[in-house]
Amino acid sequence: MNPVDFYNETLTSVPTEHGFYPYESNGGTALAIAGEDFCVVASDTRQSNGYLINARYAPKAFKMSEKAVLANSVFAADGNALVRRLTQRIQWYKHSHEKEISITALAQLVSNTLYYKRFFPFYTQVLLGGIDESGAGVVYSFDPVGSYGLEVCRANGTASALIQPFLDNQVEFKNVQFDDKPRMTLDRAICIAKDAFTSATERDIYTGDHLEIFIIKQDGITIESYPLKKD
Amino acid sequence: MRAKAEIPKGGFNFDNYRRNVFLEKQGLGLPKAIKTGTTIIGIHFKDGIILGADTRSTNDTIVANKNCKKIHYLAPNMYCAGAGTAADTEQSNALISSQLELHRLATGRQSRVITAVAMLKQMLFRYQGHVSAALIIGGYDISGPSLYNVHPHGSSDKLPFVAMGSGSLAAMAILESRWTKDLERDDAIELAKDAIEAGIFNDLGSGSNVDINIIEKDKVEILKNYAKPNERAVKEQSYKYKRGATAYLKEYVREFIVTEGDAMDIS
Amino acid sequence: MFLTRSEYDRGVNTFSPEGRLFQVEYAIEAIKLGSTAVGIQTSEGVVLAVEKRVTSPLLVSSSIEKIMEIDTHLGCAMSGLTADSRTMIDHARVEAQNHHFTYNEKIKVESVTQAVCDLALRFGESAHGEESIMSRPFGVALLIAGVDEKGPQLYHADPSGTFMQYDAKAIGSGSEGAQTELQEEYDKSISLVNAETLSLKVLKQVMEEKLNNTNVQLASITPEHGFRIYSEEELQVVIDRL
Repeated sequence: MNPVDFYNETLTSVPTEHGFYPYESNGGTALAIAGEDFCVVASDTRQSNGYLINARYAPKAFKMSEKAVLANSVFAADGNALVRRLTQRIQWYKHSHEKEISITALAQLVSNTLYYKRFFPFYTQVLLGGIDESGAGVVYSFDPVGSYGLEVCRANGTASALIQPFLDNQVEFKNVQFDDKPRMTLDRAICIAKDAFTSATERDIYTGDHLEIFIIKQDGITIESYPLKKD
Repeated sequence: MRAKAEIPKGGFNFDNYRRNVFLEKQGLGLPKAIKTGTTIIGIHFKDGIILGADTRSTNDTIVANKNCKKIHYLAPNMYCAGAGTAADTEQSNALISSQLELHRLATGRQSRVITAVAMLKQMLFRYQGHVSAALIIGGYDISGPSLYNVHPHGSSDKLPFVAMGSGSLAAMAILESRWTKDLERDDAIELAKDAIEAGIFNDLGSGSNVDINIIEKDKVEILKNYAKPNERAVKEQSYKYKRGATAYLKEYVREFIVTEGDAMDIS
Repeated sequence: MFLTRSEYDRGVNTFSPEGRLFQVEYAIEAIKLGSTAVGIQTSEGVVLAVEKRVTSPLLVSSSIEKIMEIDTHLGCAMSGLTADSRTMIDHARVEAQNHHFTYNEKIKVESVTQAVCDLALRFGESAHGEESIMSRPFGVALLIAGVDEKGPQLYHADPSGTFMQYDAKAIGSGSEGAQTELQEEYDKSISLVNAETLSLKVLKQVMEEKLNNTNVQLASITPEHGFRIYSEEELQVVIDRL
């Protein structure tokens, strides 16, 4: 083919590609620690896109019942949509069965809700922390399409790689030899959560602004708020 | 008759290019260079030039250095703030700095800002933008104070005030609203600090502290960490491990003190 | 009751001027033609007992099934047009499985009863003109028994879609006599064993035939074993206690 013809051919015959990018990453980090009779769920409140901060106070953790808190990260729009959908399902459950949903039932519901969108997933990593029917602290973590498991502690989000090893070491005492491993008290869990976040804020550009800590106990949920660095 | 394998007699050889593409596919690509998402500014004031910079350097989304230096020395009367790939800004500055020094030794005259700018832009243009250095050059020479910026492709501007880097929009917002001609020294420092802080707080690529350089006639003041608006929070508890916290598989003790043999004869 | 019988008993969704839905009332009447079924709740579990009308010596009595499992913790006894119960029990089973799939927990007895009663109301033309699934009300009443976090419970669901909880309940042709007997004999502290005996005793009194281990069916739902239908041998043990 004549080089000029070839050039013209490619100019006219190249199909136009239309991209469809329905997801984005809004950063942020969440963690959950289960104790004997309590659970701590903590998350920062920064929401960002690229190098820009969308909001300094956009919570990622939500109270779902008197016994459960759900924290999500990655894509805020999907995370919020998921929480709204679950909130509605929890209310329906309450109406049709005249009882509050247990965290085990809620975990299964979250899994099904995520798997329902298997081929257009909610782009979110979910943590569910709370108190089960026996009064014990539990943490469930989910992948974006609903695979889930029971954990003792878990971090997710942009600083998860920084925080998870710290939690493994401090909560589950991985890679250390102690004779007297201290019991996980509520105070220690809160200290660990705070230190995890102040440290992650130092090195992860997407983590910062405010820290919200949900404390779930048999007698209810309390929320504590702390400032984080804003740079 | 033709040879079995035709070996080209001239031209380019692309074997290494193909090898590199192959390696990249195997997941063995080059490691990413540290790119400083940055806020740097320069402003004219009544008696000279002020350069300002944040101190965060990032490697993708991780902070690589919380208190790095982004304002570099070019000549005794000239400094340069850099944004872009850290290695590129540092190397370009060092290269031009040494050439300026040689130039001063050869001519016995003070370096001129325009000379440094010309050398930098010629170098950057030669590399067609592949040397990612976005620079703000400020200095005080025979023609008084002057301020330039140079883009990675080699273009430059002479400006009364300028901001560069990922935080330039935030910083420029402050400069545009408050810069005036013939600012007093203290006011100018405050403006520079506020502009950098706008970048520190509103741009995720910038953070930590504010560095300020003030260049006046025969006088340079370097205010490293002029402002520290981001001190680390005090930790809730100590994470010091008890002795013996680390498990080991086997123990091997080697005696280093050798007692055998006679002392060396040094008489 | 039917003194004011009129044209108003034609449409299933048409009230009479006195405010009655005749077709539903007729459906409730149909249950009174059915074999007797009894349910007794105790603190240890619930007992369900039904009479099987073995109308011919050639009839294979084991083919008459009037007590069915809904889930491992739920059972159900029926009286009336037992064919209709297939639809209801299918629905109850789906509802129970769906609940377990969605929430990874056992459905409550009340919830499954509610689900069955929701279905019972879906007769007649629907409001939006689309094809309705049922032309008439169900002609069957159910005794739904089960164990959940609230303990053993017994519910009665009728064709009107109404359900109520009972300590002891009898339905079917002999229900009037049986209910009177239950009222006299029932005590809150009754044991499961005594409830087994009482249920058969009540059935025996209202049955035309002589009660034996092939013309009645007995089941229990307990926290330990869940739903269980008694074998002929187990049944004989209870009969021997009478």
